[in-house]
Amino acid sequence: MPEHREAQAGYHRYHIPTRPAPDIEKWPSRFKVKVRRTGLAKLLLSEVFHYRGRKDVILSRPCMYGVFSGPVGGFMPREEHCVGCLRCTTEFPEFVRIEHNPERQKLGDSYFTFNYVDQIAYEASSGLVPVRGAGYRGKFGGEGWDGMWTDMSEIVRPTRDGIHGRETISTVVDIGYTPNFLQFDAAGQPTGSLPHYISIQLPILFEGGDLAREGHVARIYARTAAELDTLAVLPFDQAIGLGEYAHAVVPVVRPQDAPRLSQLGFAPRVVEMHGWDDALYTTITAAFPEAIIALRTGFEDAAALVGYARRGIKVFHLLADYHGRSQDGRFVLDLIREAHTAFVEAGIREEVTLLGSGGMIAAEHMPKAMICGLDAVAVDTPLLVALQARFNGECAGRDASHFSLPSNLNEAWGVQRLKNLAASWRDQLLEILGAMGLREVRRLRGEMGRAMFMKTLEADAFAGLLGYTEAN
Amino acid sequence: MADIAHKTDEQLIVEKHIANLHNGFAHWPRAEEAPPALGDSRWTQDLILATWLMAETGKPPENGLEYKIGASGGGFDVLDFNIPTEDKWLPADTEIDLSIPLNRRDDGAQLNINIPMYGGGMSYGSISEHVMQARARAAQHLGTFTSTGEGGYPPSLVLYKDHIITQVATGMFGVREETIQYAPIVEFKYAQGAKPGLGGHLLGDKATDVVAAMRESVPWVSLFSPFPFHSVYSVEDHRKHVDWIRTTNPRALVSVKVSTPTDVDMVAVGSYFAGAHIVHLDGSYGGTGAAPEIAKKNIAMPIEFAIPKVHKYLVSENVREEVTLMASGGVRTAYDVAKAIALGADGCVMGTAELIAIGCTRCSNCERGRGCPFGLTTTDPLLQQLMPADWGQQRIVNMYNAYAIQLRELLRKLGLRSIRELRGRRDLLKYVG
Ligand code: SF4
Ligand code: SF4
Repeated sequence: MPEHREAQAGYHRYHIPTRPAPDIEKWPSRFKVKVRRTGLAKLLLSEVFHYRGRKDVILSRPCMYGVFSGPVGGFMPREEHCVGCLRCTTEFPEFVRIEHNPERQKLGDSYFTFNYVDQIAYEASSGLVPVRGAGYRGKFGGEGWDGMWTDMSEIVRPTRDGIHGRETISTVVDIGYTPNFLQFDAAGQPTGSLPHYISIQLPILFEGGDLAREGHVARIYARTAAELDTLAVLPFDQAIGLGEYAHAVVPVVRPQDAPRLSQLGFAPRVVEMHGWDDALYTTITAAFPEAIIALRTGFEDAAALVGYARRGIKVFHLLADYHGRSQDGRFVLDLIREAHTAFVEAGIREEVTLLGSGGMIAAEHMPKAMICGLDAVAVDTPLLVALQARFNGECAGRDASHFSLPSNLNEAWGVQRLKNLAASWRDQLLEILGAMGLREVRRLRGEMGRAMFMKTLEADAFAGLLGYTEAN
Repeated sequence: MADIAHKTDEQLIVEKHIANLHNGFAHWPRAEEAPPALGDSRWTQDLILATWLMAETGKPPENGLEYKIGASGGGFDVLDFNIPTEDKWLPADTEIDLSIPLNRRDDGAQLNINIPMYGGGMSYGSISEHVMQARARAAQHLGTFTSTGEGGYPPSLVLYKDHIITQVATGMFGVREETIQYAPIVEFKYAQGAKPGLGGHLLGDKATDVVAAMRESVPWVSLFSPFPFHSVYSVEDHRKHVDWIRTTNPRALVSVKVSTPTDVDMVAVGSYFAGAHIVHLDGSYGGTGAAPEIAKKNIAMPIEFAIPKVHKYLVSENVREEVTLMASGGVRTAYDVAKAIALGADGCVMGTAELIAIGCTRCSNCERGRGCPFGLTTTDPLLQQLMPADWGQQRIVNMYNAYAIQLRELLRKLGLRSIRELRGRRDLLKYVG
């Protein structure tokens, strides 16, 4: 049993144990610190003379972060400590120059930009919520996720949940089937279909179905998921042999895996079927009669999803590419809304579970995806970034992307990095829920009334101004 | 030289760095190339350097620095004024009035401010006492106000009490009978734009003995103010708050600072009906000493969208003339102020711009370790000496003087004699996105 679930003295609260897990591979520093040595030498000489050898005064340097505190001070700055405050260059414009490090900016790719990489690196190494001073530094709104804001409530709290502390907010989600209503026979016994679901502690699953092709990565995902009481989605081959984490492992089964399902060696709680296949569905049902069967498929055809639900699938794991695009180029935020709406309109949204992957690369994307209609997010590329993987070129296609993991990747470190990431994302989710006055994450799903979209707000605010058309 | 012999090391260290910093603040706005790592989309290199220059000279820059807009690609940065042809401009010597009333009701003191701006809340602990003093003295000089923020009311500010707004926030730090009684205006902070729906954060490293004493808390322990006011879940509850202030200080005007949720218009009207004189909207791109990045970027709407929504609703409820609407949260320049007013605000509340005037580089390290390396958002005894209050006061005054020059010039070109005439004049704006 995982350490956090040990019920000591009959009491237990869910908690993710975080611990610092610093980088194991040296990444380029965020800033380049350039000091002209002649300028520095001249300064030192003039200060020695001016302050008559008062050592502490002469050696008092502008940097508070230790960049100039190495054995030879500014002659060999320790760039990795630089936080870009610019005090040195303000004090000594003539010979100190601070630049963003272009090598750092090459981390990630055009979608998973280095800012996101930086953020994940911080979250995975510390387990903390990124907190910084000064206001927002980015662009005004934007496209996709950036064009959406979440609501908050202050004097009048629409939900009246009355949050009296983030610790009381639940992040439990259910995966499986819950009928809209129960039916009973004359004897009072339930008839018809019964609920069939599991509950996990986080709306964050680990998606390794396309990525965890290496055994040690799959093991890191599985062990972390088990310890956090969530799920790790893994290729069938990698799932074999992970019976000790049976509770948390979701094997992805393709038609070619059908003849060897018995090799798995354990009874999974959830199985993912890779694409709809009548025969495969029958085989999986027969092999794992207790399991919840999820359909792993693209977002593209929302109407078809409703059709699969009528044929018995109650959990959908919907995939966009790593840049959040469907095959026809639409963005995942719109795709989620479409899928959610299709089930709402069919009157069966409460019966199914929608999981999603692709393009959700920051903590903020998780609540936004849930507001648009997901029950939980199966996180993909951020897990690799947490493990300090490097992108080999653009990584958009699920089959065509290549990442390089650190050669010294080890299980204990990897597990802690993922736990830290999950803890940080969960805490950030709590910030969003607390601000909205919601007491449980399940109430976030499909709460479109608590979302604000830039296009709508801008039209409301600027309609009628000279030069403004809705097409802007 | 003799001077040096008589000074302590600490004095010499502080003097040395102050001289270097002042040299840099004067150097960079005039240099051919800006520091490469300075600035971001909202506060560009040019905006920061232009603010430094205005804070030094008291005039708008004339050396080509862009001082009107940033590069955020939206909001104020995609709005401009429709300036009529020169024959419609008012004569150059026309007197243009920048004052606005803060009380439009018929109860309480009739307070006016000379410029359509006052200083926003920055708490003792999140900023140094020197910064508070500089802001308060500047407010006195300019005939406007500054706000204490939620960290209490240091005794050194009592001298300027007629220009200080006492803030009452959810943590209730330092809220005492006398600090309510000092105040011409009491501000309830229901929420803050940079972290809407979360309480204030003061990280442990900044909760020094003195700061903790002021807040009646434990030194070096982080303080997370609750959210929301747990005594307020409705407009009626809010009304009780207002009554409580009125009982303690019947003279005081009441300001209600709220963030910008989807129902910000209802919140504003509710605040008015509960007795507020000032409704202060703080948009999501506002400043802070420490806030989760997720909150700054994602929760609540930017001020540019909230102002017209609230203005229109107050008009439709027939109460617009009885309430003063102040806007903040990403208002960076004199032109932002004018645009906010044209969208429907009466005036603006300024924060980050004042800090930039006194040396902030927008590096976002305010919460780290000992705090701001420029001595602004810090409680470190040595660091805070880097920003002497008299120097800071003059820089802030100069910046507002430069703003006033720009606002008067703009109004003159728009054919308006008073900033009050600009309110809600969306027809004078154009979209340039
Ligand atoms: S920018 Fe700041 S952190 Fe970096 S070297 Fe200069 S003083 Fe140190
Ligand atoms: S730490 Fe940086 S952002 Fe914060 S006040 Fe100081 S200079 Fe400005």
